[in-house]
Amino acid sequence: MTAFRRDLAIGVVLVAIAAAVPFLFPVRYVITQMTLLFIYAIVVTQWNLVLGVAGIFSLAQMALFACGAYATAMLGLYLDWSLWAAMPAGAVIAVVAGLLVGLACLRLKGPYVALLTLALAQVAYLVIITDTDCFIRTETRCEPFTGGASGLRRFGDLGLREWLGRDWIIGNYFVGLGLLVAAMTFSVAVVKGPLGLAFRALRDNLGYARSRGISQFKYQLVVFALSAFFTGLAGAFYAAHFKSVGPTIFSFSLLLLLLAMIVVGGLGTIWGPIVGATLVMFADEGLREVQDFRTLGLGLTLALFVLLLPDGLTGTASRLLARWRGSGS
Amino acid sequence: MDELSQETARSPRPLLVVDGVSKYFGALAAVDNLSFEVMPGEVLGIGGPNGAGKTTLFDVITGLDRASSGHILFAGDDITRAGPERICHAGIARTFQLNAGFDTLSVRENIEVAAIYGHEAPVFPGFRVRPVIRRRVDEALELSGLTDRATTPAGELAVLERKLLMVATAIVTQPRLLMLDEPVGGLTQAEMDAFVAMLARIRGEGMAIILIEHVMRFLVTLADRVLIMHHGERIYEGRPDDLANDRRVVDVYLGDGAADLIRAALDPGAAP
Repeated sequence: MTAFRRDLAIGVVLVAIAAAVPFLFPVRYVITQMTLLFIYAIVVTQWNLVLGVAGIFSLAQMALFACGAYATAMLGLYLDWSLWAAMPAGAVIAVVAGLLVGLACLRLKGPYVALLTLALAQVAYLVIITDTDCFIRTETRCEPFTGGASGLRRFGDLGLREWLGRDWIIGNYFVGLGLLVAAMTFSVAVVKGPLGLAFRALRDNLGYARSRGISQFKYQLVVFALSAFFTGLAGAFYAAHFKSVGPTIFSFSLLLLLLAMIVVGGLGTIWGPIVGATLVMFADEGLREVQDFRTLGLGLTLALFVLLLPDGLTGTASRLLARWRGSGS
Repeated sequence: MDELSQETARSPRPLLVVDGVSKYFGALAAVDNLSFEVMPGEVLGIGGPNGAGKTTLFDVITGLDRASSGHILFAGDDITRAGPERICHAGIARTFQLNAGFDTLSVRENIEVAAIYGHEAPVFPGFRVRPVIRRRVDEALELSGLTDRATTPAGELAVLERKLLMVATAIVTQPRLLMLDEPVGGLTQAEMDAFVAMLARIRGEGMAIILIEHVMRFLVTLADRVLIMHHGERIYEGRPDDLANDRRVVDVYLGDGAADLIRAALDPGAAP
């Protein structure tokens, strides 16, 4: 069995399982949390392109997610766009933001990229929460342009309630699943193809890669732009699904949660982000009873994986498999 | 054949012109007002003591470092200020002294990535490796004798294989000038012979070569012309067989023993 067929088979089985969940567990909470899992998994598969495959330590991913979310909300709210049109527009705006972040990081190395991207995300967060001027003013309410600390609401939704009734949430669930499948297919095509080779070559040895004709300038911008598209789209869908968007999506604990998903699953691997997103999401669910320990548990998990299993679960598993096959032959 | 083309056939234009190039690190001149030319198809050997500026010269020519002054022309184009990507596309491919490789990529992927991006910059590289690229990769694998190792990650290769892989990734960009930085340093005699055989095949295709090497037996048997550097300056340029008779070269670099060995290597009949 070729690697492609194996990956395809794994993908089909996972999609089949995910498609059965709303019918096996028709509980609103389960469906909502699974939809959230799809959204996070999309972000993580795309972040993995920059962080794992290209080896650029950008922490701006949730800021790009926020770009998609806020752009969608604002287009719906101020220009009365249908969210089906606002979502791809939000993704495109996230791509533009991704290009700017990539451009800013071009001359930086390692930890400096992390510092700059974190600072950029903080700036965006501060701009939003300190925005208190009334953009919409009526007798009863005053809403700032960005929604300020309380966020934006009443910008519409995907409109599935009209023909699915109470099952609109299952409709949204499948939109999320569809987006995840598209994002995953896209990232696999990128990683396995010539673009993935260029990103990995630049990561492994910059000077050598440039001497073989691979432009750092072009491909660093390309990887930021590519990874921003579905991240922005995930943000747009987040806004459309929850019908609200607020500055909490910039929170450090959420960033940590997503980072843990990549590290637990395996940086730079194909299935790592999906495996990591699922496991961390379930573990987080298990810790919900003991609120105080959630972030602590997350931090500890992250530290343990970095120290003991730096390749993550899928990386370690495939290495063990290779060793087992090697000793078998 | 008319008169003009006869004229160009007799004295073709140099492929590479290094014209008064200097590279300073602070007050230290690593390369000091150096000038030389390389003709198409020629093999130029560069030798000299450690710290003579040989690798810095390579870095400056291939765009990894900028010349402090002077000009570098390749096939008539000024490449003095060009970046390494553009210089690669212009037709210069180099290897590195510290066996560079894309360690997490397989041997085949190492060559593929050079084949896709090295010859000309693709506008969009697509999502599949094109058949024409695959064929060129197969040829480079065959030429370097790495076909059996195609799926091995480059990080797991032995020293000789890494050196061969670096040459394979250079060749696959279809350069007109190949620059080798200590290609056989650290290899055994048998491995060195394997390397010489491969270079002979490359030369047969008309590629010009500049090679830096401390193993003088290797340098003088391969090179058409030898340039010896010392403190960033040229102290010798000429035929390899006169090298051992140049007093200055023997004093600062070779020593009398090595000079005798070079004479022996060039003329096996007259062993000392």
